Amino acid sequence: MSKILIVDDDEIFRTMMAEMVRREGYEIEAVSNGQEALEYIQRERPLLIITDILMPEMDGIEFIMKLNQDGNNIPIIAVSGGRRSISLEFNLESAALMGVQTTLPKPFTREALRAAIDQALEHSPPSSGLR
Amino acid sequence: MNDSTDSNAPQDLSDRYAELLQCAVLAKDPLASEAALAEAADLGRRLVAHEVPLEEVGELHHEALIRLASAHPDLPLSQIAGLITAPLMEAYMAYSLALREQLERRAEAIVNARLEQSRRLEAIGTLAAGIAHDFNNILGAILGFSELLSDELPPASAGQQHLEFIQQASFRARDLIARMLTFAREMADDPTEIELVALIRETLDLVRVSLPHDVQLDFEPLVSEAWVLAEPSQIQQIVMNLCINAGAAISSTPGRIQVGVRLHTPAGLAPLVRLTVEDDGEGMNQEVQERVFDPFFTTKEPGKGSGLGLSVVHGLVGKLRGSISVSSEPGSGTRFTIDLPRLQQEGKASEDAPPIRHTPPSQQETPE
Repeated sequence: MSKILIVDDDEIFRTMMAEMVRREGYEIEAVSNGQEALEYIQRERPLLIITDILMPEMDGIEFIMKLNQDGNNIPIIAVSGGRRSISLEFNLESAALMGVQTTLPKPFTREALRAAIDQALEHSPPSSGLR
Repeated sequence: MNDSTDSNAPQDLSDRYAELLQCAVLAKDPLASEAALAEAADLGRRLVAHEVPLEEVGELHHEALIRLASAHPDLPLSQIAGLITAPLMEAYMAYSLALREQLERRAEAIVNARLEQSRRLEAIGTLAAGIAHDFNNILGAILGFSELLSDELPPASAGQQHLEFIQQASFRARDLIARMLTFAREMADDPTEIELVALIRETLDLVRVSLPHDVQLDFEPLVSEAWVLAEPSQIQQIVMNLCINAGAAISSTPGRIQVGVRLHTPAGLAPLVRLTVEDDGEGMNQEVQERVFDPFFTTKEPGKGSGLGLSVVHGLVGKLRGSISVSSEPGSGTRFTIDLPRLQQEGKASEDAPPIRHTPPSQQETPE
């Protein structure tokens, strides 16, 4: 069974998210930035990607951009503690502009995460055949 | 001696002027009269430093003349007429120059203070956003782990209740962060409905004093009212920076700056307010035009300008969701055109046809 890939640089949050997703009955793989995520995806196709936006090395936006360039059809949930602000930092709006259909602001409840996963998997294009 | 002279032109300046006038008139030695004129120029600058109004410079001269006349009642006017005027002219010219410099410095200080304030507010907003981001991550972990922990505790236990409290407290913290962010954003960026024509007219009164005397500044709005969503200080800064820039482009000859406001609705698009600032100065070549909004780009001599004025304007216009363009040719002036989204005020929605139209056809609004 393919795994849910969790990408977040905050170790405690990542551990929490991984455990929460695991208890929803999925297998998970957790990495700490976009670069590591890309490396994982080259080896194995995840069922779903849950990615943070602001990360060192490669942030979520660059990661999503690289995936899109390769014709991504893996569903993505973007999570972030950042909000729309007057600063120029990337945030969930940026992710939405990149075509991410499911966004989830931090902090979130277990219920909200469950709903986001269901929504993202529902919108997921057929996983076989197309690229 | 009257009170106003006492309070504004200090007695020693008044005495000095009377003395130097005598020197200038009675000097046998051309060097001495030259020295008196130099002192008159110095005095002119001192009068500005003491904030003595121009009218009182005339009084000062008048008073010195009376002293001279009473000290030397037999001096024939025909002999000294030319000599009497020279120190006054010298003092007056130095006074005007110093006054203009003082006003320029003040206008610049106002602009800089506003710029500084908007930078500070932006910094607060950025700081708030950074704190919010980190806090949300921390809260996310607290909330998430407390939910996970509740799986491991017996239902309806005291532990469950404690976790419930942790969660409630986390939600309160989350709401607090959201409020802090909103507040920071509002502080940094608090646009209101403002009427451009009156605000620009007011701003130009401030700008006018900092422009050289032979630069004419005309405001020719084609509408009586134009409403936009902005902070008044943003509009003031845009107008001031553009006018100061236009004034700098008019180097030697007498020149003219025209500021205009009109309504404009491009076909199929939302209605706009169009603000134009046009000068008949040096103009710019293509290369300069392309870089004109770059931060720190300047054609002014070192120390004469930061090169930030137009990039600040560009940034502000962007913040207001407007657009700015420049058209210019070397030798034939420059025109900056700013389009801002227009607010349709209640009961004023049908102002698309401006009441006055006396512009040449080439400048008129495109047909709607």
